[in-house]
Amino acid sequence: MSRVLITGIGVVSAIGFSADENHTALKNGACGIDLPMHLQSKYAGIFPAGEIKITTEDLKRKLGIKDASVTRTTAFAVHAFAEACSDAGLTGEQLASGRTALIGATTVGGMCLTDELYRDANSDFSTSPFLSSYDCSSVFLYLQQHYKIGGLVDTINTACSSSANAISYGARLIKLGFADRAIVGGAESLSKFTVNGFNALHILSTEICRPFDAARQGLNLGEGAAFLVLEKEENIGDKKLYAEVKGYGNASDAFHSSSLSDEGHGPFAAMQEALASAGLAANDIDFINAHGTATENNDEVEGRAILRVFGKPPLFASTKSNTGHTLGASGAIEAVYSIFNIINQEIYPTLNFANVDENIGFVPVTNYRKLKVQNVMSNSFGFGGNCTSLIFSKAW
Amino acid sequence: MFYVHQINCISPQQTFNITDIEQLLLPVNKKLNVIEPVYQDIPKNSLRRMGKTVRIGIAAAMEIIKQAERFDGIVIGTGNGGMEDSIIFLKQVIEYNEGLLTPAHFVQSTSNAVASQLSLASVNRGYNITHVHRGLAFEMAAIDVAMRLLENRQHSYLLGGVDEISGYNYKLDYLDGWYKKEEVDALGLYDTDSPGTIAGEGAVAMLVNNTKNGAIAKVVGLTTLHSTDVYALQQHLQNFLKQHEGLTIDLLLSGENGDNRSLYFYTGVEGMIQGNIPIARFKHMCGEYPTASSFALWLACKLIEGAALPAHMLKKGQPKTAYNNVLIYNCHKNLQHSFILVSLAE
Repeated sequence: MSRVLITGIGVVSAIGFSADENHTALKNGACGIDLPMHLQSKYAGIFPAGEIKITTEDLKRKLGIKDASVTRTTAFAVHAFAEACSDAGLTGEQLASGRTALIGATTVGGMCLTDELYRDANSDFSTSPFLSSYDCSSVFLYLQQHYKIGGLVDTINTACSSSANAISYGARLIKLGFADRAIVGGAESLSKFTVNGFNALHILSTEICRPFDAARQGLNLGEGAAFLVLEKEENIGDKKLYAEVKGYGNASDAFHSSSLSDEGHGPFAAMQEALASAGLAANDIDFINAHGTATENNDEVEGRAILRVFGKPPLFASTKSNTGHTLGASGAIEAVYSIFNIINQEIYPTLNFANVDENIGFVPVTNYRKLKVQNVMSNSFGFGGNCTSLIFSKAW
Repeated sequence: MFYVHQINCISPQQTFNITDIEQLLLPVNKKLNVIEPVYQDIPKNSLRRMGKTVRIGIAAAMEIIKQAERFDGIVIGTGNGGMEDSIIFLKQVIEYNEGLLTPAHFVQSTSNAVASQLSLASVNRGYNITHVHRGLAFEMAAIDVAMRLLENRQHSYLLGGVDEISGYNYKLDYLDGWYKKEEVDALGLYDTDSPGTIAGEGAVAMLVNNTKNGAIAKVVGLTTLHSTDVYALQQHLQNFLKQHEGLTIDLLLSGENGDNRSLYFYTGVEGMIQGNIPIARFKHMCGEYPTASSFALWLACKLIEGAALPAHMLKKGQPKTAYNNVLIYNCHKNLQHSFILVSLAE
């Protein structure tokens, strides 16, 4: 079976509008989390978030999008998609090929327009431009139409592991001959809807989040988008290469609709399956980009599952302390960060860590450092028990 | 691609406990609502909290799960899954001015609620995923399962397609022009010359694997296309038929829905089918919804198993005594197209 290689990346998050800006910010330990300026919610003054500091109107203007139906989520997707395709040097003809797939993921989709949706759903005569923009697939149907993607197009929603599953779906399409090239990723935007949902679950922190810290108080939401261009090794020629999509595992925790089992069945099985599909042993993993949301439940369970898989855990960190939790986009954004680990042979710190949690005795990386990185594991665990683990490897 | 073993269907017709597709049940107020079964496998406390999508999704799947010797994961396609709970939650958000809310509707608002509730009910820790790509959500789930079965030859998967008509998604699609403004009865649906169709819903679940023995049918091929151009669609179909040249198609199951804006896709496809092959329609039975092609797949399986083709389905040609190769064509909102080829398992 063909190796699946990454030839292009694009990302927009609270710490930067491009892959370069995100890389510099990670290196400098920059934090993009503070009280949001643009989010329309009464909680905007209470819960910090990884907000991208631009209005939807300005973002659309910057991207040249005139279509009124385009939402903030879709605009972020366009931003990251265009960067990834241009980075990989994809032509219009290649995008239109029946062998080019687009696999996207989001959880909020067009429901970022919370108030508009409420109005339209309760109106008898609305002529709102957003009537077909509220579902998740609207984001990627816009990309398909706008860029004339010719092959398989899909939208996945497995909550917070959505875009990690989009990456593995695209890689499998290539490996099994359903596509030669797949543009894979996810997009998410902050919304009144999600802030209220997570607040109802009592897992939002009023402070900037502290992944794996004993005194952690919950997560901060974030927004953004990221895409990767995956190509079949045989077709790449002398293109610039970032990394290989080496392994993927997907498992259900089958425990509870919004929290993980104490034993971490799902996280454990997802990591095990990722190692098996990559043909790697646990000690081949040099670094883990952890899910690390900074909720009490996640970090403890993830830590315990890592101990079960690895015995002595490899170096690990959570970039949620830089970007906030970008939900459906987090798997793709953190895939790009894992690629930075590999191409730059360096790792980035978890911010705000001070106290070891005695329940797991876990200490994440807290300083920027150079490291020989061959294989990186990236974890994403979602509501409904949807756990996914990916492995990215040096491609040469 | 894969063999279909058990297949269950909850629909607006008599398809679940008793199967009688000959007798046609009619829409009420341009909506075809499913006949909900008695939910004996779901505890009453849980049932009260479940939205309709989750209820019918679980009911369609549970019998299969209970009887399966093994199943290694759950793959669901849903276009609108979670929409109803999302809007109920957002109504609370707005009407209580972002006050303190209970998370029940928020937790159920994610589209993966059916797949995750099924994993809980069966304590299945295998592969679990939800595809939500609107009118191709079920097709992308089916391709996912086909890939899993190439990767794991011995596995079996639960594959499903489920959607509901909620007051809210009906309203949004109505405002957007996808449902008829005038009254229409089921059989007159295809004679209307106006935009829009009637709403429907349903849940189909099946156990699929690589084992020919005991299978009901085989999904031989599946292809999808996004296009507004009928010539591109015809070209796509021609390539698909070429890949399956050895098979003689003996029925076209057409997703024609009475929307005069999409008719030319359906007639374009009919024009491509060589020979005197009967053409049958099904949207007057299940209504229009994103995963309606899963209802068509259930129908194809029943016809291959030997059910007679009801007269109310027939558009053109003569019914046959047996169906060995059924081609399903479906189009969603004049953009998303799929062809599924279903054959006798031999």
